[in-house]
Amino acid sequence: MTRRNKITSLKNFPLFFSPAIFLIVFFVAFPVLQTVYLSFFSPTDEFVGLDNYFDVLSQKEVLNIEGFPKWPPLGALIHNLIWILIHLPLTMFSGLILAVILKDVKGSSIVKSAVFLGMVTPLIVGGIILRFTFERGVGVVNAFFNVLGFEQLARTWTAYPETALFALIFGSAWLWTGFSMIIYSAGLATIPKEYYEAAKIDGTSPFRTFFRITFPLLKPMTITVVTMTILWELKIFDIVFVATRGGPGWASNVLAYQMWLLAFRDLNFNSAAAVATFLTFLTLFVTVGMIRYMVRR
Amino acid sequence: MATKTELGIAVLVLIGIIVSGSTLVLTLDLAGRVQRIEETVAPPPLTVIGPWSGAERDAFLPVLEAFTEETDIEVDYRIYRAEDLSPLLPAQFAARTAPGDVIFMWGWFIAEMGPKGHALDVTDLIDEADFTTGALDPVTVGDTIYGGAYTGKIKPGFWYRKSFFNDHGLTPPTTWAGFTALLEDIKDIDGIVNPIVSGDEVGWPLSDVTEHFIATYGGPQMHKDLTAGTVAWNSSQVKEDVFEDRLVPLLEAGYFSEPTEWTTAVDLWWAGDYGLYFMGSWITGMVDDPNDLGVFPLPGAEGFVFAADYFFISAYTEYPDEAKQLFEFLASAEGQEVQVGEGGHIATSLDVSLDAYPAVDKSVAEILVGKEVLLDLDDTIGGDFQEEFWTQLKLLWVSPGKLDDVLEALDAKAP
Repeated sequence: MTRRNKITSLKNFPLFFSPAIFLIVFFVAFPVLQTVYLSFFSPTDEFVGLDNYFDVLSQKEVLNIEGFPKWPPLGALIHNLIWILIHLPLTMFSGLILAVILKDVKGSSIVKSAVFLGMVTPLIVGGIILRFTFERGVGVVNAFFNVLGFEQLARTWTAYPETALFALIFGSAWLWTGFSMIIYSAGLATIPKEYYEAAKIDGTSPFRTFFRITFPLLKPMTITVVTMTILWELKIFDIVFVATRGGPGWASNVLAYQMWLLAFRDLNFNSAAAVATFLTFLTLFVTVGMIRYMVRR
Repeated sequence: MATKTELGIAVLVLIGIIVSGSTLVLTLDLAGRVQRIEETVAPPPLTVIGPWSGAERDAFLPVLEAFTEETDIEVDYRIYRAEDLSPLLPAQFAARTAPGDVIFMWGWFIAEMGPKGHALDVTDLIDEADFTTGALDPVTVGDTIYGGAYTGKIKPGFWYRKSFFNDHGLTPPTTWAGFTALLEDIKDIDGIVNPIVSGDEVGWPLSDVTEHFIATYGGPQMHKDLTAGTVAWNSSQVKEDVFEDRLVPLLEAGYFSEPTEWTTAVDLWWAGDYGLYFMGSWITGMVDDPNDLGVFPLPGAEGFVFAADYFFISAYTEYPDEAKQLFEFLASAEGQEVQVGEGGHIATSLDVSLDAYPAVDKSVAEILVGKEVLLDLDDTIGGDFQEEFWTQLKLLWVSPGKLDDVLEALDAKAP
């Protein structure tokens, strides 16, 4: 590119960027800033500093210190962390195992498509399916435990405080596993075959090959999967809304649903904005951390 | 440098854009003129938003048709449940718009939005004396009325299949001891999962049955006091009379099922998996044979909860005069007679005669005679208390031992 062409393209830079900038400013930046602004004011428009944040975090529905150790409920914040602790490894390793198993299998695209169906299923629909999956009398899970003779587990999982959150977590695994499976499948295709051939010549076991070659080389994919899955888990709302409405007794409440309750049931938009901002910072914390890690690598 | 051919194409494209644009503008302008001409001929169509779909929608449309016949004003009906409207309307109101002209919504929500200028003042359109006592209270703020009471649903008690009772030699109870004995008899019947099936939805099926216990064993006054927030949920009176002595022992004895999706529960109960189902009067429209239905209240009930459907005129309607006509029609005996005639509804207008009801609803309407009519507790209070009430009752149903925690949580959110 000549110097003159470079200058011309730089001159056009604002012109081509302006539509996108305009959309981002009005439809992303402004609402975000407005939400942050709202979170520092009372419903009567008085500046209250961080009071809304302290109020929200001191609510039992958000953080129930008394819930320890006789849980549930432990509060929406802790429930979100439990989601991450269980759902993240569950979906990540399920997707990885499926991707590895299906790597060189004929017709695997059919199986992959079936697994990926969960990703294209609207979460509201997923929530309804989940609810019936764990319902006594009609649920597949309940029927399974019934056959095995575990009657305690054949009851409606979403109705009991001890099992409601786990029903949501386990029941939603199929909705997200397709994501990690596809990312890992794409990653596996980039690993040179020579590595595996060399390992074979050296007589390395498949188990060792997986942990010494496959998994380390999938690190960029793992970071993507971990980041996206944590973000999905932090903003989870639809499934909870449809399947349990955060109950019973807030045993399956999560931050996004608490935000909805404050905004549209309590009509307290300022407190809801505080939860939204808090949630945004949590997701930013995860995203920025992961991006910095990737850049360093 | 552009060639002649490229310049020619560019000119043609430009001409094409100008011609297409001009055609579009002319078409839109013409359409606008036609619409304006039509508007001068026919009255504007109103949009009504209500919660009824399926068979319930089919039963509501004749009311709108009767209105159109009388006024020549077309009405478009759209379905939105109150739960779906609650996140939608505040945002729309903030933008000074609304998705409909006349909107059915929770009473507490109307009372909240009315004074903020989002609902029209209808005090002059409606006379409180024409309605059942207290029916307009949830939509009245001070001396101003912001909404109307349409028909409603009564929660009369426990429904049973007459054929099921006949087959097993059961009879409706008249005393508390008779009620518990009945539950024990049903429990012993082969194939019965639990004597009473508990409906599960957002939470209202459980709040309905709990309110019936409050109105019966705490009394109508306690129900009103809890609604007004003048008595504490964890007071010994409420705790003992309603929960510890009545409801909790039944839950602990396994007479109630665990919460089951409420429409699925109808099928299971009808199929004989359960003996009784506490539900509102709308159940008459949900079963194969309404003539096989019987209902009895808790023995000693002096008050019944009646949940009216409330509606209001959006302050942002373009057609306030026509909307007011529709408002008056829906609140009138004439409009409500059409609705109750379709079944499943009980009128709030005192001028609707019992003859307007189908037989099965007539028997339900008769239950109210001489009894105190109470407003739905959680619908009246609304807000975050309603969600708390629902979720805590779901907890109580499966963990009756947590009664103290439940009552404490309710008290914290009570008005």
